[in-house]
Amino acid sequence: MIFLRRQLPLLITLITGLLFAAQYYVPHPASEQMLTSATKWMQIVGGFALILGVTSLFHQHAVKIKRQEAGWGYSFVLYVGMLGTIAVGLWANGKESVEGAMTAFGWVYNFMMVPLQGTMFAILAFFIASAAYRSFRARSREAAVLLVAAVIVMMGRVPLGEYLIPLSGDVSSWILNVLNSSVRRAILIGISLGAIALSFKIIFGVERSYLGGGKE
Amino acid sequence: MTLSEKMLKIDRRIIFLMIGLCTLLPLLYPVGLPIKISAEVRGVYDHIESLPEGSVFFLSIDFDPASKPELYPQAIALLRHAFRKNLRVITLTLWVSGTGMADQIVTNVANEMGKEYGEDYAFLGWSPGGQAVIINMGQDLYSAFPSDYSGKPTKSLPVLEGVRNLKDVTYMVSLGAGRPGVEEWYVFGKDKYKFEMGGGCTGVMAPGLYPLLRSGQINGLIGGLRGAAEYESLIGQKGKAVAGMDAQSATHVAIIVLVIMCNLVYFSQRRTSRAQGQLG
Repeated sequence: MIFLRRQLPLLITLITGLLFAAQYYVPHPASEQMLTSATKWMQIVGGFALILGVTSLFHQHAVKIKRQEAGWGYSFVLYVGMLGTIAVGLWANGKESVEGAMTAFGWVYNFMMVPLQGTMFAILAFFIASAAYRSFRARSREAAVLLVAAVIVMMGRVPLGEYLIPLSGDVSSWILNVLNSSVRRAILIGISLGAIALSFKIIFGVERSYLGGGKE
Repeated sequence: MTLSEKMLKIDRRIIFLMIGLCTLLPLLYPVGLPIKISAEVRGVYDHIESLPEGSVFFLSIDFDPASKPELYPQAIALLRHAFRKNLRVITLTLWVSGTGMADQIVTNVANEMGKEYGEDYAFLGWSPGGQAVIINMGQDLYSAFPSDYSGKPTKSLPVLEGVRNLKDVTYMVSLGAGRPGVEEWYVFGKDKYKFEMGGGCTGVMAPGLYPLLRSGQINGLIGGLRGAAEYESLIGQKGKAVAGMDAQSATHVAIIVLVIMCNLVYFSQRRTSRAQGQLG
């Protein structure tokens, strides 16, 4: 049992990790075919992951409704929304419109999902404005530098800002292209080196947390 | 409570009202301030402009309705430009919740430009897997998408003639609102399959993509509503992005005024409390 639970997954990780790391540098047709097959598998697994996610969500909210926990009404709304959408989606064969005519699924998408998501995103502007007013204060030198940079970039990114302070556009562009790029690049290099180190640890079985913490 | 204390503890509904008015009024009464074209946006425009007729232009519409205000105008402007240049336009999405919207965008612009489905353009739809879809398309486009969004076999579409995988794509633009998006298209697509690539993203994401732009990994970047407005100006078809720039201008300036005001009050209050401390 330990072999199936521990050694076999480690062996699969080691072989596939090394194989696909090497595959990138081998342009032989057999190697390319192997990549084609593997990515097709990944797509299929991705499809199943979606089903798993939906099932898990259903289970979690079913428990909440059954126990009538705080906010169970929202879980009920989620259930109705999801089941309703799945039903109309299956009925419409997943199509938003058929020969120019909108299906019920299309109606749900266009008149519920699109405005709801748009609204959620749009109200962020109001909260950001309120939060900026309350918390964006030059309490220290670092905060002052951040504040000045933010004001310049905000001015330089809109026509009115460029009109009021003509230099703000060029300064904002310099901040984004030089200061921002170099710092981001440094962060990216750090993250990438970390990712490489972690990949090696996973491939060679040093890092095993992905196997789960079950009893051996 | 002193005036400065009142200012610092201002009712947030007043700020909401101010932002609401700053958004609404310029939309009702547009000013139309001139928009300066940046080198980042020009990079994408110039590359499309340089492509010969019949080149394969790939557009990945990787966003959902939440990012519609910023990325929808970008997609419209890019498609208008590509169709005007008579490029072969192939579109898809890596975001399942954006599928219907992507279909609408492509269909509407194609109808407006008098293009025929299958001959001039195609919409492949969505396929699960995120970056795995990119790699799969790089290996074999027909394996990743055996059929298009409407269920037609992709191998039967004339627009895809001579296109076996991503290596046959002349130019590709990913309009991304997150992951998978521009970065994934670069890492798993362009880097391995060697096609030219540009990007488009929301305003908050743009600074994060500048390293890709500065190193030439992408040849242009359309950032947020401003980027879309610049592209609309470049193609000479002003739309929703240009209309929205006045509102964005007003809200940016309003937020800056609020932040400066808050800091002035904060410093005056700090000075007063220090003076009181010295006296005490």
